[in-house]
Amino acid sequence: MTHRRNTYRVNYLLVSAFIVVVIASFVLAAFLARDLTVTYVENEFASRKVEVLEYNIGPFNDFFHNRIPEISFYQGYLDSTGVSVYADSIFHAYPFVERVVFYDVSLSNERVDYGFSANDLVVYPKGVYQFSAGANGADLLPLVPKSGHLPLSLSDDFNNMAAKFAAFIERVDTTRALQDDDIFKVFYAVTPGKICYMNIPRRDDLKAYKELMYGRNSHEVVYEQDILTYFIDPQKLSLINIIPELYQRVQIQPLVYESIDTDPDLLTTETPLPGALADYKIYFSSSRTFLQSEINRRFLPVMAGVIAIYLLLAVIAYLIYRNLYVNERMFKLQYDFINNLTHEFKTPVSVIKIAGNNIRSAKQLSDPERVHYGRILDEEADKLNNLMNTLLSFTQIENKSIKIKREEVDLHEFCDKVLKASQFKYGDLTLRCKVDVKRTLYIDPVLLGSIFQNLIDNAYKYSKPANKVLDITLTQNKKQIVMRFADKGIGIAKKELMHIFKKFYRVQNQYNQQGSVGLGLAFCKELVNFMGGAISVESELGKGTIFTIVFPLD
Amino acid sequence: MVRSVVFLLVAVSIAGHFIGCDGGKDRVIPVADFFSEPEQSDFRISPNGKYIAYLGSYEGQKNIYIIHVDEGRRHQRITSETELGVQSCFWANDDELIFTKDKRNDSLQVFAVNRSTLGVRHLMLPSTVKLRWISPSKVINHGFLISLNERDSSVFDVYRLRTDACQKELVARNPGNIIKWYADLDGELRLAIASDSLKETMLYRHSEKEPFRAVVSNNFRNSIMPLGFSGENRSYIFALSNINRDKLALVEFDMETGKEVRTIYSHPDVDIDHGGYSIDRGEMSYASYFTWKQQRHFLNKHTEQVYHKIRQKLKGYELNILDRDTARTRFIVRSYTDKDPGAIYYYDMATDELTKLADNNPALNNRLLAEMKPVTYPSRDGRQIHGYLTMPPKPKGKKPPVIVYPHSGPSDRNRWGFDPEVQFFANRGFAVFQVNYRGSTGYGKEFWAAGAKEWGGKIQEDITDGVRWLIKKGRIDSARIGIYGAGFGGYSALHGACFHSDLYACAASYSGFINLFTILKEVPPHLKPYLQMYYETVGNPETEPELIKSMSPVFHSDQITIPVFIAQGGRDSWSTVNETNQFVQKLKKRKIPITYILREEERRYFRNEENRILLYTELGKFFDKHLK
Repeated sequence: MTHRRNTYRVNYLLVSAFIVVVIASFVLAAFLARDLTVTYVENEFASRKVEVLEYNIGPFNDFFHNRIPEISFYQGYLDSTGVSVYADSIFHAYPFVERVVFYDVSLSNERVDYGFSANDLVVYPKGVYQFSAGANGADLLPLVPKSGHLPLSLSDDFNNMAAKFAAFIERVDTTRALQDDDIFKVFYAVTPGKICYMNIPRRDDLKAYKELMYGRNSHEVVYEQDILTYFIDPQKLSLINIIPELYQRVQIQPLVYESIDTDPDLLTTETPLPGALADYKIYFSSSRTFLQSEINRRFLPVMAGVIAIYLLLAVIAYLIYRNLYVNERMFKLQYDFINNLTHEFKTPVSVIKIAGNNIRSAKQLSDPERVHYGRILDEEADKLNNLMNTLLSFTQIENKSIKIKREEVDLHEFCDKVLKASQFKYGDLTLRCKVDVKRTLYIDPVLLGSIFQNLIDNAYKYSKPANKVLDITLTQNKKQIVMRFADKGIGIAKKELMHIFKKFYRVQNQYNQQGSVGLGLAFCKELVNFMGGAISVESELGKGTIFTIVFPLD
Repeated sequence: MVRSVVFLLVAVSIAGHFIGCDGGKDRVIPVADFFSEPEQSDFRISPNGKYIAYLGSYEGQKNIYIIHVDEGRRHQRITSETELGVQSCFWANDDELIFTKDKRNDSLQVFAVNRSTLGVRHLMLPSTVKLRWISPSKVINHGFLISLNERDSSVFDVYRLRTDACQKELVARNPGNIIKWYADLDGELRLAIASDSLKETMLYRHSEKEPFRAVVSNNFRNSIMPLGFSGENRSYIFALSNINRDKLALVEFDMETGKEVRTIYSHPDVDIDHGGYSIDRGEMSYASYFTWKQQRHFLNKHTEQVYHKIRQKLKGYELNILDRDTARTRFIVRSYTDKDPGAIYYYDMATDELTKLADNNPALNNRLLAEMKPVTYPSRDGRQIHGYLTMPPKPKGKKPPVIVYPHSGPSDRNRWGFDPEVQFFANRGFAVFQVNYRGSTGYGKEFWAAGAKEWGGKIQEDITDGVRWLIKKGRIDSARIGIYGAGFGGYSALHGACFHSDLYACAASYSGFINLFTILKEVPPHLKPYLQMYYETVGNPETEPELIKSMSPVFHSDQITIPVFIAQGGRDSWSTVNETNQFVQKLKKRKIPITYILREEERRYFRNEENRILLYTELGKFFDKHLK
């Protein structure tokens, strides 16, 4: 196993485990998202009723916090005409106020035979007036009969306020400012359907009332206070469903109301109304199918988000995989290269070694034998030299440490030379060269020769012995010189075409079992690019390959 | 290279900083410098002129100090109060000073201290009463007069406090309606003013043994204000009177017959003021009146000479003689101008020597303060309205923003002189515009009476007319006008915020009336005449509630669209905290920018120095923000 540590590893188990985990977690996420959305919507159904409540009791709060305390500003000076104007504006703005009863109250130390008395202080209504929403100001009716006795329904409110107020005067500390809780306890009486309010006197007035109560004021005096009772009908509160997507129906119902609907799919919730509206509640209901559509509406974007995240994950996984794949290829190519290189070096070295052995062991060398061995040694040494030159120049060109020695090259002349050299080298190669170029090319002839040599070598190598043919055509158009190398060799498979210009890449076949390191075409491409040209290839398996090199003229 | 550039930058920035400091010296003066109280106050000279007493600080409390005038101006502290400071003091004679201390639990005590032995005597044991001095505040026959509300908290009886026996004896019992008492030159209580508020009656007696008898009555629209008894004729008094005339005149009045004897001095345009009466001799040394600034018509050659001589030494300053010795040779003088809080001087006529005793506000010495200029403009119905315009020495922008500053009252007036609030605003780059609208005092009774029932009407129109006149003159920025006032001035500011949001950019009210119903409630209902007077000046809440409602800002908070500043004392009986709170809440709900300063322990005007400084600091910030 040790050797595997240093080789390239592929673990399919790991990959498949990864895929399984990803898919499982995706399913889980989708499931959880769905579940959470359902819970969320159901929670919202229960909790967002507060918003509906807040919104709908806004006018009531405004009425309660602003319009009622306004009475205090009049400091007890209100009379029935004043209240009439005030009441009209209230009825107009707040339809839930049904009627207003106004007690024009006097506080005095005189003897009065009706009213509420505490020690020397008598609190009694000078007049009681009622204003209704439907009636105009003209319809107001004084309710106090001459006898001075109030009907029980009205005296109840009055006595309640008067008693509270008298008790307050008894205990109030007039050196301190009025506290907010005192204000609410004493000057308001809030019961379902009804709000009583008495104007809040100044601190000095409270002092005066206290003196009245304990008989410390010898003068006969009358102070004025105002008490107003507002009758509220919560049913007339305008109700607007501000969250229609959650609540199918919103109603104001009496506090004791329970739905008799037995449908198990009907969800309901309720919230009681505050203060004077407290005998009613807001009742919310929605069917499950109604909520389902809301759930779906919310689940969709969540799911889209989950999918997007997993797509991103997949893309990242693919990129990592691709990166690893490329590295693996590089690894393999270099491994092959070293293998090939060793092999390439080995053949000439062993031939040299055999020749050397033979020469050493032979007692006598005949002339033909000496020539034979000399030629072998010379050839093999050339092979080694070539191999090393190729490697060296390739490294140089990759590092851009090579220098281009450009000169004007007459392509006719150049081709003739190449042709002659090749015919000498490959006797069985039918090499045809057709040059249709009028101009010279400004290029490094040595490097160009190297390119030609490589391509001719390849054409020779990858052609069947019976059909070793190469057509070189040089043409010129306006701006460039096109060089076409067409052979009738074995061709290259489509899927390999894109790799053939890569370093150390070799097409696996019988023709390159020896003497090839996979650098030839890579070297050509580097050279062509280095000199500003471009190289391309087209090929058909079994029919031949065409390499096209294009050099710009300028 | 880099290092030298950095060095250069640092050097430049430091230099800039120093220059900035220099320029800032006169720019913004700290709030406390305007509103802190002077270290030394209440300078009084002894009857023989040899000693000057004053209140100075010792261990954080006010104590009495004495300057020995003839002994090299040596200062000596003669009391050592460390718990409760001295509140007021005066010379009983050449050797003793009578003083009261700050109250604790509303408990009043009166003491006497001997300047040489430093012995302190209790003249009156502590009791929870209020004291009002009765002039002349000097000891005659081992006694002096005070009035106390000991018997009934609402009325003041007169007692003679005996300095030898340390006892007080009742001199006159108040039947309940006497609001002011007067003693003659010998310390005998012989004149009183009774009021049922609608009607004032002068009571007189020939000697303390006789009972008081009513001499003359007049309606509250007229006034006759006694200054003191005449030294020449036992039954004659000097008084300011506008009976049968429009402007208050200085007259001599015979209390025996109830007739005016002669008019000593009157001015065609303005009322004659208090001042000029000397109690020790029973004579008028001058008549004082206020046109755009204080003027004196001298009735006594010696006094005129004294003023003339001091004026030679303090050119350009206005002068007031605060105290003098009986021989009229040694004086304590206060100086001031509009731009200078001035100082207290000692003047010796014999040597013609003027010595500075104390600066009124040393923190403002050599500061660049603003000049207060009188202005006059016509109201829409053709009245001439007087006022003052203070332009800032360093205005913000080409045309300065302006703060309209209506005075309180409304029965009061603005006067030319040093005003710390005005200078405070001017120092911060604001012009200050003050108006003596109708209803102000000092311009005759017709002008004053024209303000009746016009609190929300013509009085406010006079103020807006003034502002429009100012805009037309083109010296101020019409987009940056603020309005600020205290009491009635605060009411005017809120009124402006409610009804003239187009004119003002912001409004600040310091204990302003926000509800006139509340003010009318101030009077107990059994005091019918008082109520009547109130109803006649403000309006009748029973018969015309709509008028009161239309004038009260508390009902119109929904019309306010500009930033508002409100300062309120919790114990102010003229506006209740409840109402102010509600008013503020309503504005807050409508998202109107509002600054609200509530101090529970304070009354109408903040007494505590810390609270006052906080108030003005916030006020300054408010105007800086909204009148940028």
